[in-house]
Amino acid sequence: MIKKFIHQFASPKTYLFQVERAYKFILFFSLVVYIVSLIWGLFFTQEDFIQGNSFRIIYLHVPASFLSQSLYVSMALASFVYIVWRVKLAAYLVISIAPIGALTTFIALTSGSIWGIPTWGTWWQWDARITSTLILFIMYLGLISLHSSFSNYEKADKLLSWLAIVGAINIPIIKKSVDWWSTLHQPASITLTDKPSIDPSMLYPLIGSMIGFFGIIICLVIISSKYQILIREKNKSWIKEYV
Amino acid sequence: MKYLGLELLKLRKKTRSWLGPILVFWLIMIAYPLTIEASQENLEIGFFSVLWIAILLSMMFATEDIFTEDYNDGTLEQTLINDTSFAYQVALKVMIHWLLIGIPISLLSFIFSLGTNGNLSLSLLILPFAMMSSYIFLNLFVLGNALSLNKGSVLGAIITLPMALPVLIVLGKSITAIQLEINYSGFIFLLLGSLSIIIVSVPIVVSYIIKAHLE
Amino acid sequence: MFDFAFNSLGEAIYMNGHGIYVWSVVALVLISLLSFFIGYNLKIKKLKKKFNESN
Repeated sequence: MIKKFIHQFASPKTYLFQVERAYKFILFFSLVVYIVSLIWGLFFTQEDFIQGNSFRIIYLHVPASFLSQSLYVSMALASFVYIVWRVKLAAYLVISIAPIGALTTFIALTSGSIWGIPTWGTWWQWDARITSTLILFIMYLGLISLHSSFSNYEKADKLLSWLAIVGAINIPIIKKSVDWWSTLHQPASITLTDKPSIDPSMLYPLIGSMIGFFGIIICLVIISSKYQILIREKNKSWIKEYV
Repeated sequence: MKYLGLELLKLRKKTRSWLGPILVFWLIMIAYPLTIEASQENLEIGFFSVLWIAILLSMMFATEDIFTEDYNDGTLEQTLINDTSFAYQVALKVMIHWLLIGIPISLLSFIFSLGTNGNLSLSLLILPFAMMSSYIFLNLFVLGNALSLNKGSVLGAIITLPMALPVLIVLGKSITAIQLEINYSGFIFLLLGSLSIIIVSVPIVVSYIIKAHLE
Repeated sequence: MFDFAFNSLGEAIYMNGHGIYVWSVVALVLISLLSFFIGYNLKIKKLKKKFNESN
């Protein structure tokens, strides 16, 4: 019954027509939330006592950093769905998310480096958290290069899915690395169980920017998956109707 | 037992496959002192970093053609369709590689460590770390080679190298703990735990990956 | 909570010397996101044109 449900609602055709309708709404809402939160954070929050105005990079760095890991987890979940239930759409989503994940990781790494200059006096430090994020970036690039090296799409999808699942082991290591090893990196300001260590006037625009950035990335994933579906389903008759 | 003997015989006959990585390790450890001022203090500073990286690279070379020959001559397909579990045979293959390559390299690590810092207790501790880490690296690179089965081993190594880096971090931290005489048993248990998971899961995943290649 | 944190717009851009870091990150994020959006939309447009020509 689960298999029938998944196959019914996870056809590329259904997905494409559904997201077309939702896309503009999600993009508009995300852009509004993101821009408002950024303006609030950049211009209307008081400067940090220790870091000064450079702390404002938090509104750009933290959403990217959080998303870079979340996207890998969603890739691993989609890979699991593909391997277990053989849902084609899941495979398309895996390869769609990989370049977006690489983008967010790149943003996290470079914004973190730029933030490091006024804060730590160095643009790079080989501590566990930063190194793990760099490893994650290389893993994204590895995934993309693995998929592109096979001309047989089905084989490439299967291998990519296996690699994504195995690589997902790296995610808890990144998450916990701040706690496991003493590092230069600031500990997590927002956790699931404890009260946030950040002031509310800084926290609310941060949450807003995370929601907005999340929505923007969802829209990017939608466009990327649309592109994948158009390539992979090009011989299907419904594509003519869509185009 | 039949497969164990068969894999052992296959690897022993291909001298380049088991001796090559050991020689590569040897060469890296010999090359290291040539790159710096060979005073005792200078040698000790970077020694362990070079040691772990040398083990990593040797294991990468050790798995270079672990499946290629069998894939090209159809042995892999035969192995897939016979009665014994394919994952079990992969696990045996990895274990044989570790016995013939990993253990000698671990013993060499002990010797080089003793020669560099003259500390017997430290060098004896290197042995279990080298043995566990070489087995972990072997499994990871076997996974990479299975993924890039007929696309060259470089792609597979590049893909799985990031997964080996956290192991290097743990190895580095454990040496610091040993040298500072802090409790290092946590690192041993961490490596042991990782190894016990990898030793079971990697052959299973590799068997599925190779089945995907052969379909 | 909604008081402007600076005395002027110029000060907001300068940010006590930290402006270069903050605004360079803003530019980085903007350029990265825009390039991906534009890139993918162009690719899709190209594909649609190809489909229409073949039909």
